[in-house]
Amino acid sequence: MNPVLRTQLAGVGKRPARLLLTGLAVLVASFVVYATVLAQQITERSVLNGLSGTPEAVDLVVQNGSIKKSDLDTISKLPGVAEAVPRTSIGVRMPAGDLVIATDPGSGPLSTVKLTEGRYPAAAGEIAVTPRTVERMALTVGSKHTVSPGGDAKPVTLTVVGVVQPRDDIGFLSYGLLPTASLAGYDWIERVDIRLDSGADATAVRQEISSRIRGESPPEVATGADTRLAEAREAAEQVDQVFIVVKVFVAVAVMAAGLIAASTFRIVFAQRMRQLALLRAVGAGRGTMARALAAEGALTGLVVGVTGVLAALAVGHLIPPALSAFGFEVSSPGFPLAEAAGTVALAVLITVVAVLAPALSAARVAPLEALRSASTTGAKQGVGRLRAVTGILLALAAAGVAYQVWTGLPKTPDDEVDAQNLLLGIVASGGLAFVALITLGPVLVRPVLTLAGWPLRRLGPVGRLAVGGVGGSARRAAAVSVVVALGVTLLTGVLVCGDSIRVLAERETIAAAPADFELKGNTGTVLNDDVAERARQSTELTRVTPYRWAAGITIGDFQDAGATDVSMTALPRLAGLDTVSGDVTDLAPGKAIIAGYLAENAGVTTGGQITLKREGKEVRLTVAAVLGGQTPLHTEALLDPSDLTKLGVPAAPTGVLADAAGAGEEGRTAGLQALRAAASAQPDISVEVLADQRDQINDALATLMVIALALIGLTVLIAIVGVGATTALSVVERVRESGLLRAVGMSRGGLHAMLTTESALYGVIGAVLGLVLGVPYAWLAVAALANDAPLTFPVWQLVAVFLVLVALTALAGVLPARRAARVSPVTALGTD
Amino acid sequence: MQRQSSPVTDRDSLAAVAAVDLVKVYGAGDTAVRALDGVTVGFERGRFTAIMGPSGSGKSTLMHCLAGLDTATSGQVLLGGTDLTKQPDKVLTKARRERIGFVFQSFNLLPQLTAAANITLPLDLAGRKPDTAFQDKLIGTLGLSGRLGHLPAELSGGQQQRVALARALVSRPEVVFADEPTGNLDSRSGAEVLALLRDSARELGQTIVMVTHDPGAAAYADRVVMLADGRLAGEIHQPDIAAVTDALQSLAAGR
Repeated sequence: MNPVLRTQLAGVGKRPARLLLTGLAVLVASFVVYATVLAQQITERSVLNGLSGTPEAVDLVVQNGSIKKSDLDTISKLPGVAEAVPRTSIGVRMPAGDLVIATDPGSGPLSTVKLTEGRYPAAAGEIAVTPRTVERMALTVGSKHTVSPGGDAKPVTLTVVGVVQPRDDIGFLSYGLLPTASLAGYDWIERVDIRLDSGADATAVRQEISSRIRGESPPEVATGADTRLAEAREAAEQVDQVFIVVKVFVAVAVMAAGLIAASTFRIVFAQRMRQLALLRAVGAGRGTMARALAAEGALTGLVVGVTGVLAALAVGHLIPPALSAFGFEVSSPGFPLAEAAGTVALAVLITVVAVLAPALSAARVAPLEALRSASTTGAKQGVGRLRAVTGILLALAAAGVAYQVWTGLPKTPDDEVDAQNLLLGIVASGGLAFVALITLGPVLVRPVLTLAGWPLRRLGPVGRLAVGGVGGSARRAAAVSVVVALGVTLLTGVLVCGDSIRVLAERETIAAAPADFELKGNTGTVLNDDVAERARQSTELTRVTPYRWAAGITIGDFQDAGATDVSMTALPRLAGLDTVSGDVTDLAPGKAIIAGYLAENAGVTTGGQITLKREGKEVRLTVAAVLGGQTPLHTEALLDPSDLTKLGVPAAPTGVLADAAGAGEEGRTAGLQALRAAASAQPDISVEVLADQRDQINDALATLMVIALALIGLTVLIAIVGVGATTALSVVERVRESGLLRAVGMSRGGLHAMLTTESALYGVIGAVLGLVLGVPYAWLAVAALANDAPLTFPVWQLVAVFLVLVALTALAGVLPARRAARVSPVTALGTD
Repeated sequence: MQRQSSPVTDRDSLAAVAAVDLVKVYGAGDTAVRALDGVTVGFERGRFTAIMGPSGSGKSTLMHCLAGLDTATSGQVLLGGTDLTKQPDKVLTKARRERIGFVFQSFNLLPQLTAAANITLPLDLAGRKPDTAFQDKLIGTLGLSGRLGHLPAELSGGQQQRVALARALVSRPEVVFADEPTGNLDSRSGAEVLALLRDSARELGQTIVMVTHDPGAAAYADRVVMLADGRLAGEIHQPDIAAVTDALQSLAAGR
């Protein structure tokens, strides 16, 4: 065996901890990288499952054309097709309103519903309804209803045989087999979902279908994945942004892993340097040494890389069941093989480079020189001129890129900008800023330490020593702190973005759904005089607020604006509207509250004048307040009733807003029925349950929160592992110093306290640097993703992050500190 | 073999620190090594004593035990009447902090603290106010006045060892232990440090125990205690280089 390799392996046998620590950095790095890949998988699958109605098992979708029932049979019999399921729906009129009957197989991988009661329909005329439909339309299991399916078809009897839970329960929905949906007599299907046999050629099946089905308008055949994405995009415009954010996060996590590895290798490097210099001094050749080290590095990298990937896989597959215990449904990450292989390869590469680098340095300097180089790496102060210049240039480059992003930000909600490019710019700028931070770290540590250390110095010699210890080895402090700073930056980013999106969603919800119910007809319909009064008399309803709504108003250049006179005081929820300037309570005759984009379009601010024109009439109003988004009920202006009358809008209300008096689903159902009863004389008006829309937005928010939680969890993991590894190494590196302190009379407890305090100080420095970087970058990211989102500063969450991270860093130092304090002073002093 | 020192167990004796029938065994079974094999020796107050012996004679082990850095297998270590072998770590720590000073071969200064901070470290740890007049005098005597703001890396070996010496002396401990204090120094710096050690004993009345294998260094001491194979092997009062070298040679020949 190569003698150097033998020496290295013997060294491994004697001091396994050191190899473990070398490997640990790479282990952590590969774990983090692969865990992030899995997090991306979980997130993307969960988002698609949450927003798309197409099951993941669907391989092909045939839609947007004329598909006959005979075509379905043709598709089912094609080779390679395992299952073909029709999706179509009809509406039938029931006493309580329209009921939708949709088709679904009821079970199997292509089903979109889950049976909760009774059985799934097996024959024509049988339906299973959704839970809300049971409540709202009084369709209990076992009941029979005669309905007319429309067209020329004869009335048919529907039997409710079960209750099923769909993804979105709209409250007037039922499911059955194709014969039930064909009762109206139509011979066409909206869409066919196809599951292929495993191993079947999707492209071939696609072509086969296209050539077989050629009606007057041939349908499109798309892949299930494309359809899911398209549906998700339709459901939520932010889907692409979410995916970009997750990808950005992957990039940042890879960077973090590199950082952690680099900062731990710094210490291993110093230890290796001495050893390699010694080998050189006794005559080992460069080639021998390089080969031996490369072999050792490759082996270590392979072992720890595979371990890291397996650990990440274990955690990744534990997350979905763990989260489902808390009521969050997320998808499994699967087994992305290519990424796993890539991660292991990366681990091998990093390790080989890391062990070869000191070998090359050791070969360059004279053996004796290397031997003499201090065994502690942290003692050097400050940074050299070259390093300072490099750092400043990097910082300037980061600022330059950030400025570029800032000038490219969208100015109005309608600005078409490429969010992906902006985010990439932000990541690039952040990356540069972090390299600058690493380069200039030793200089930046001082001012933060002066502040943070002031109270500690007063706490006696242990505090003074801890502050002195951190300040005295600014390079080491900088290396550990940068890892913490990265963690805090990521956390801050997630929290600030999450908070901004939450506030934005809440405001949009308030403007779109200011009450539980809205009663209205088509544009131009006015309510009978007694409708509002009858609604008021119902004990099931409260805050009944009639309003008028008018379209076709011209405000400056803005054509066809909408305006309403809904009372701000009647609906307390409206007080939470996103006010950019002015005061919404100032609304009075002659004044108006307007949407933010209208104000921008018309070039007015609070106190300015706007002219509203409608059908030849005109009023001039003073702007009382400008909102961030729309004014309530999807309008651009909120006026006093008298001003709306001046524009020629009839006095009769066009709609009624009302809240349910009772709580929960029952209260909502009772309120809905009461409102329907109040308007029963006017068949052309209908009730919309705005509260359901609010629920849907909240559901979407909950999905986003799950993603945010997963990302936060991963970040905390990165930060803890990184800080733990660096702190542990720092203590190992300083065993001798600990021995000396013990020899000159520091107690075990004192040493323990000192090392733990030092760790906490690394946390403080890192957290301060992280907040300083994280908040501006998060704001920049929010502005790039959604310019109408407010820039929030979630103080308490950030304070909590700060405290938790500092506590965790201190905790990361506890174990190594205990170990250092237990070592006898003589042993410690004898270590090199 | 010369006169036995006064009874070391006597509280009122001149011994600042003493070992009584001290045994230290490393390892167990067949591989057990008796580093100290029943050593009884006292070190007088206010004097500069050197411990000498060939490699493996147990001189460093003896010093570590005397200083409460290492635990003895049996026997007693008496520091001013306290038996250190019976004390818990807390008491040992306190003793090291308040009653004992150290000078090491490899200086062992904290790299991140300035010379001044290194000097006052034991006082800081004990939470004691330094005796400013004494400290200034000490720094002046050791020639460190212009170097107080420097970090160890910016000092020469001789200067670093003088800082370490100041750190050992500043708290006026009952005993200062010096472990091969000139081992890493050139001969001129070594001579300076030795002279300073001797002067601290003579002028300040500081008790100093030094381990060395250099007869030239031992010649600075008031008394030399010889150790061989973990046992006491004689002593020399008012030694000179020739007497110490002869004694070492006869020890080596006697083996």
